[in-house]
Amino acid sequence: MIVVRRKPIDEILKMVGRHTRVMLVGCNTCAAVSLAGGQKEVDTLIELLSLAASRKGFSVEFSDAILERQCEPEFIEKLDSQGYDAILSLGCGAGVATLAGDNDKPVYPALDTLFIGSAQGFASWQAECSACGSCVLGETCGICPTTRCAKGILNGPCGGVKDGTCELGDRPCAWVEIYDRLESLGRIDDFGKTMPAKDNSISARCCEWDMTKEGDDS
Amino acid sequence: MSNIPPHKASEADKDRVFAPCRARCPVHIDVPGYLSAVAEGRFTDALEIVMQRNPLPSVCGRVCLRPCEEGCRRCNLDEPVAIAALKRAAADHGAYPLPRPMGTRPERVAIIGSGPTGLTAAHDLAQLGMKVTLFEEKPKLGGMLRYGIPNYRLPDDALDRDIGHIVSLGVETITGVRVGRDLNLDELAQTFDAVLIAAGLQGSRSVPIDGAHLPQVMTALDFLERSASGEKLDLGERVVVVGGGNVAMDVARTAIRQHAQSVDVICLESRDEMPASEHEIEDATLEGANVHCSWGPHAVIGDENVCALDTVRCTSIFDSEKRFAPEFDESELRRFEADTIILAIGQSADVGDLGINLTHRGSPIVDPVTLRTSHEGIYAAGDVVTGPTRIIDAIAHGHRAAAAIFGALVDDWSLLRELDLENTVLGEIPPHMSEMLETRRRIQMETVPFYEAIKNWGEIEEGYTEYEAAREAQRCLGCTTGARLAQEKCASCLSCMRVCPHGAPGVHVGGYMYFDMEACHACGTCASACPGSAISIEGCSPDEMVLRVQRALASPTIDQTIAFVCGHTRNALETLDPNARIVTVSCLLRVDESTVLQAFRSGAGRVAFSECDTGTCRFPHALKLVAQRERSIVSALTQIGMGDSFRIVGPASDEEAPS
Amino acid sequence: MNLHDALSSGTFAVTSEVGPPKGTDVSEMLASAEILRGRVHALNVTDNQAAVMRLCTLAACIHLKNAGHDAVYQVTCRDRNRLAMQSDLLGAASFGITNVLALTGDHIVVGDHPAAKSVFDYESVQLLETIVDLKGGRDAAGNELHGVPDFTIGAVVTPDAKPFRPQLAKFEKKVRAGATYFQTQAVYDPESFTSFSAYARGLGVKILAGVVVLRSAGMARFMNKNIPGIEVPQALIDQLEASNDPVQTGIEITARFIEQVRSECDGVHVMAVGAEHLVPRILDAAGL
Repeated sequence: MIVVRRKPIDEILKMVGRHTRVMLVGCNTCAAVSLAGGQKEVDTLIELLSLAASRKGFSVEFSDAILERQCEPEFIEKLDSQGYDAILSLGCGAGVATLAGDNDKPVYPALDTLFIGSAQGFASWQAECSACGSCVLGETCGICPTTRCAKGILNGPCGGVKDGTCELGDRPCAWVEIYDRLESLGRIDDFGKTMPAKDNSISARCCEWDMTKEGDDS
Repeated sequence: MSNIPPHKASEADKDRVFAPCRARCPVHIDVPGYLSAVAEGRFTDALEIVMQRNPLPSVCGRVCLRPCEEGCRRCNLDEPVAIAALKRAAADHGAYPLPRPMGTRPERVAIIGSGPTGLTAAHDLAQLGMKVTLFEEKPKLGGMLRYGIPNYRLPDDALDRDIGHIVSLGVETITGVRVGRDLNLDELAQTFDAVLIAAGLQGSRSVPIDGAHLPQVMTALDFLERSASGEKLDLGERVVVVGGGNVAMDVARTAIRQHAQSVDVICLESRDEMPASEHEIEDATLEGANVHCSWGPHAVIGDENVCALDTVRCTSIFDSEKRFAPEFDESELRRFEADTIILAIGQSADVGDLGINLTHRGSPIVDPVTLRTSHEGIYAAGDVVTGPTRIIDAIAHGHRAAAAIFGALVDDWSLLRELDLENTVLGEIPPHMSEMLETRRRIQMETVPFYEAIKNWGEIEEGYTEYEAAREAQRCLGCTTGARLAQEKCASCLSCMRVCPHGAPGVHVGGYMYFDMEACHACGTCASACPGSAISIEGCSPDEMVLRVQRALASPTIDQTIAFVCGHTRNALETLDPNARIVTVSCLLRVDESTVLQAFRSGAGRVAFSECDTGTCRFPHALKLVAQRERSIVSALTQIGMGDSFRIVGPASDEEAPS
Repeated sequence: MNLHDALSSGTFAVTSEVGPPKGTDVSEMLASAEILRGRVHALNVTDNQAAVMRLCTLAACIHLKNAGHDAVYQVTCRDRNRLAMQSDLLGAASFGITNVLALTGDHIVVGDHPAAKSVFDYESVQLLETIVDLKGGRDAAGNELHGVPDFTIGAVVTPDAKPFRPQLAKFEKKVRAGATYFQTQAVYDPESFTSFSAYARGLGVKILAGVVVLRSAGMARFMNKNIPGIEVPQALIDQLEASNDPVQTGIEITARFIEQVRSECDGVHVMAVGAEHLVPRILDAAGL
């Protein structure tokens, strides 16, 4: 899932404060699931922006709508934004982009898109994938070194690991985890295989995907 | 005879799941609904919920036999919630709704008898806009409620509050008139579009024994009525009461208050078989009545001065088919000296003078569905039809009569159909959940000690204070009031599953969420965590919360602080400004971020969260989430320069701000 | 004697380090190097150490080279991609700077430009392989070089890392990738160091024990708490605590340590950590 987070109110207000009628559009897929873009967050943001706007002397009117997925034009077609002069999207970057591409009025992002992640209990997510285009999870027992290691190292822990914790102090060392998991799976020999540097040309050219899926373009 | 079109239960009807308390109540009061309102100190809301199904809350809050409490799911945990006493609290501390009949209709209905059945029917029909005239033989309204139940259990002012509300709906009342004697039923039937006979059981049963005619022998009804009317009776020193039911207990205790020196209660039944409620027997005994079981009255001995009741040993009262067929051992005799003997052995219908077809027991013959008698436009309901029942059954019959009369007069049978809807009853608490629930004893109500109580007619039970009522109501498990899911809004994010400590939410293949109602006890944690606003908890929807905030803001106090107070603690209240506008909630988690922000937009100058302490918290699993909510509110407000407009008070907080 | 010769002749190698300035004034750096002239075989030049931006390592190496010092060119992967690193390495070699030390580098967010983009196109193992490629006459993409550099290829290792086994496996990868000598993170326990060193030398690489002189008990405790892979034994902390002249005590501790491990390793790397003036005293005390 795409994990998102609300931007600071000031930043949002700078974008929408100059408009008079703004429609907040939530997204009931990833953004809702990461507790930042569902109906409740839309309602809360409307209240917050209204309060903030009135304190700054802006006169902005806000209303709400929820789309099932903002990254699908067919869902966006159902959105009636007539009479509004701007849209504030509570979707991920793809949502904002799709809404903006399908609209004749300015579309602003209310959220920052953080990562592709997994849920870790309520209101907690972990980055799992960086969409690099060349997956090595098979060699690392499902722990992505590109994502989970702060430096994206592909060949083992750096010298910064302290008691199994990353030198940034905010996460366990991915390579210690990979080592443990390889060991528990009896695959510790794989740790010794040197992984070559990533082929970054794959992600550099991934925009080709917006045209075809191989074999489907006959 | 019945002319109601057939009706098939719809799918929606089958989904109607009632908590056992509600299912067992003959009028299906939304018990969990009003208990949750009481738990939040919303007594007026609670009273409104009660009165949707029961127009006599003050009465039933005191003297209902409480079938609901037998069904309470706490029975398996500790003891049932004091449902009836909380109904009384709603009536004591809440405001009765303003009379708002649904328009006016031309139909006129006469109701004979102003007991629970007559009052209920009058209430319902007047509420529906019909013109109702209530005929009562006695000088005051209330029937047995006034003249049969002693004041120490049901004081007149309590009864008058219920009656006052019913009358305020526009019911015309004519007292001191007995239909059949002072007025002809046929004439009534011509003047009114419908007539309802709800006369109750005005006849007293007697016993076919020698001396029953002696002047020292009186009936319970006569005795109770005269006592209730304020008459001071000279009973002599020794009173013997015959009977083993609640009426006999009322008679005994009334006799004590009429200054009898000794009161002996004689009954056929053994102690275990006595029909009287256990606590009524205990109270009577405590006040000085001596209960003598398994004795049958044999003869009243005496002349105009000296008197005694001779009894024989009763060896059994039911035959093998459980029919009433007492057997006696004539060789074992006992004599009870008496100055007065009061027979409390049952009542019977007394409507022979109305001229309608009666059963062999003297009750009107009616269609069991429509309650219509042998005469067009004439209906009968309540004890006069059913024989002796509980008050709440009589109320239920009153509803049925009103629905039937409305159906016949307006040709709209929906109300009657609604009464017969099937419902599913919520099962017992699942074992995994009972293990997680903490036991909490019922809050004892203050009572006047028996040695004081017998000195006068004052009410013995003092009722719950508002605080006691809220605390007791918080024992309610909120059965069936918990999570309701709007599937179309659900994003299947699983937040509900992650925050529910009881395993109530689950997910089907395909990502469809469901809730196990038996495991849910309406803490509201899932609703608070739901990003799609797809889950709602009864009484706590965002709209309802906004309404409560606006009500609080409308109250005439100068302080502009809205304080959301967790209902589970009171000491927090003391740390708040006494002028703060208080919105009590069952858990602060029910207050969404947007509710707080909306409070500011509606004019609140400041908002406070008054937390419960961990000792009294009913939903300890929510504490962490409340703290999370508070942090996010503070963060949001700080971002717009209003960080100091929000304050957290209460024992669980260490960031208390100066006021 | 330079580092390459010391290592290949079996002479006990001594290295220390200098940090390039923040700015263009290299005089202080050269002064620090000057007091070590003749005392060390080579001077490491750090590469934006701790992710703090400084004068470029290659330029600093050239300054030292011009002043007659043998420099060890530290290359980290944090700030440059594979093109930049290779071209800098070729540049270094063109100036005769052939001692290289390959490191992954501290993360950018711990430094003074935390908002900068981390590169990490390579990390140490891949960098080592590429340096070996260059030495073999081809770049990382397999293209032939005109003029082939010669490098003495080094890397780093943390013998007291916790947990140790993943670190050891990484060390072995570096050995296989082509590192011929290793400077270690600061070590204090002679016993654990010599057991690591014995194993490492068995793989055919040279080990230079890293030492940081402890100047107070507080500094020792700070390092234990904050610097990954450093374990100062409690006995040493007690000794410093009890001392009237903790700096002198620290120097003695360092000298004693060097004596104890000298026969079990191939050299010593003295990290000054802001006290370059103490390095000669340490070397004096250790008899180097």
